Amino acid sequence: MSDKPERPKKSFWQNAQEVIYGMASHDMSRYALRTRASMEHLFILITMGDMIGIPILPPYYSLRLLPYVVPQISTWKRRLLREKDVSDAMF
Amino acid sequence: MSLKQVFEEHPERRYIMFGGKGGLGKTTFSAATAYWLAKQGKKVLVFSVDPQASLSDIFQKDIFGKGPVKIMENLWAQEIDADRHIKAYQQEIRQKILDMYGLEQVPEEIEQYIQAASAEPAMEESAIFDAVVDIVVEGNYDYYIYDLVPLGHALYYLSMAKVYDEWINKITKLREEMREYEEMVSRMKREKETEEDQILKELQYIRGRINASSSILTDKEKTAFFFVIIPEEMILIDTKKAAELFAKFNVPLSGYVVNRVIPRELLSENIPAYLKNRIEMQDKYLVQIDELFGGNVTARVPELERDVTGLEMIRTLSEIMYGS
Repeated sequence: MSDKPERPKKSFWQNAQEVIYGMASHDMSRYALRTRASMEHLFILITMGDMIGIPILPPYYSLRLLPYVVPQISTWKRRLLREKDVSDAMF
Repeated sequence: MSLKQVFEEHPERRYIMFGGKGGLGKTTFSAATAYWLAKQGKKVLVFSVDPQASLSDIFQKDIFGKGPVKIMENLWAQEIDADRHIKAYQQEIRQKILDMYGLEQVPEEIEQYIQAASAEPAMEESAIFDAVVDIVVEGNYDYYIYDLVPLGHALYYLSMAKVYDEWINKITKLREEMREYEEMVSRMKREKETEEDQILKELQYIRGRINASSSILTDKEKTAFFFVIIPEEMILIDTKKAAELFAKFNVPLSGYVVNRVIPRELLSENIPAYLKNRIEMQDKYLVQIDELFGGNVTARVPELERDVTGLEMIRTLSEIMYGS
């Protein structure tokens, strides 16, 4: 009961925070995420390169990492085989 | 210094390796040394890292892929079945994928990759490498005797540890950078915690495994590496080269064991010219061996009247090598 009057205040703060976040750092964090995604793809290339015909040493321990990248494999392949990234045109 | 002295003066050397070109007697010496140590009351495991292992032949017992098999009191022998190890490992990976994503079946392209990866030439060596870590890390024995692969392979085995290590370092660094970006985003979005990076954890595990194995191979305190040679020119040239390469990888060399020396006493008997010539040839190279390796020659083992198989012959040989 006692937290009821606090609610609008909290959501006001939240709103304010979100507005500030949107104005100040949304772009930065989107950029960081994009860099992170590129690195993820680079990482998969280094560890799983064999999958697209680039021989990478050593396969034994690569297999240990395979389960963790399963969901990314198809986007990774698509991205590597694309001549130009769509996002290049967008941003 | 004799072989016996080396062992008595350095009881801390628990990892014993015999290396050399193929067919010179690495397995035989491994078995005889294991036998002698076991008779001294030490708990010994002799194991083979060679995909074409011959411990089964020398002990006249099928031990391939059966884990450590007891040969006699205090003595166990093991031959690693790389194929089975790889199959079990593949299955483990498949199961992990199925469990992680709640799948019924491994996606086709992933399955193809798992199969293709296992066909890689380095796979077998890596699997053995990995299995050896399991064996040694357990630490159940006083002595571990590695029946090594022939020289070329052994070098490959050593350099693999180095390649692995560099590879791991590179990708670990990349992974850590990725982590920084992730943390930056979650800070900006004011999320409490970022998820723990399982891949980074996995990489650290892999690095630990590789370091465990290569640090044993190059541990000056705990490891004794012996070269097996015979008095012949080609062997000497190759061994000299190999010893230099091994030194580059920091393998602690404990000595040389000369095998197949034809007993000189035969000269006083009525022997054919053929045998006489061979004895003279060996004499020449034995002198060279002393010049090259000097005090590092720990034993001269004569050519025996029959091949060494079975415990009785192993005992005879161990008496020659270590004294009865």
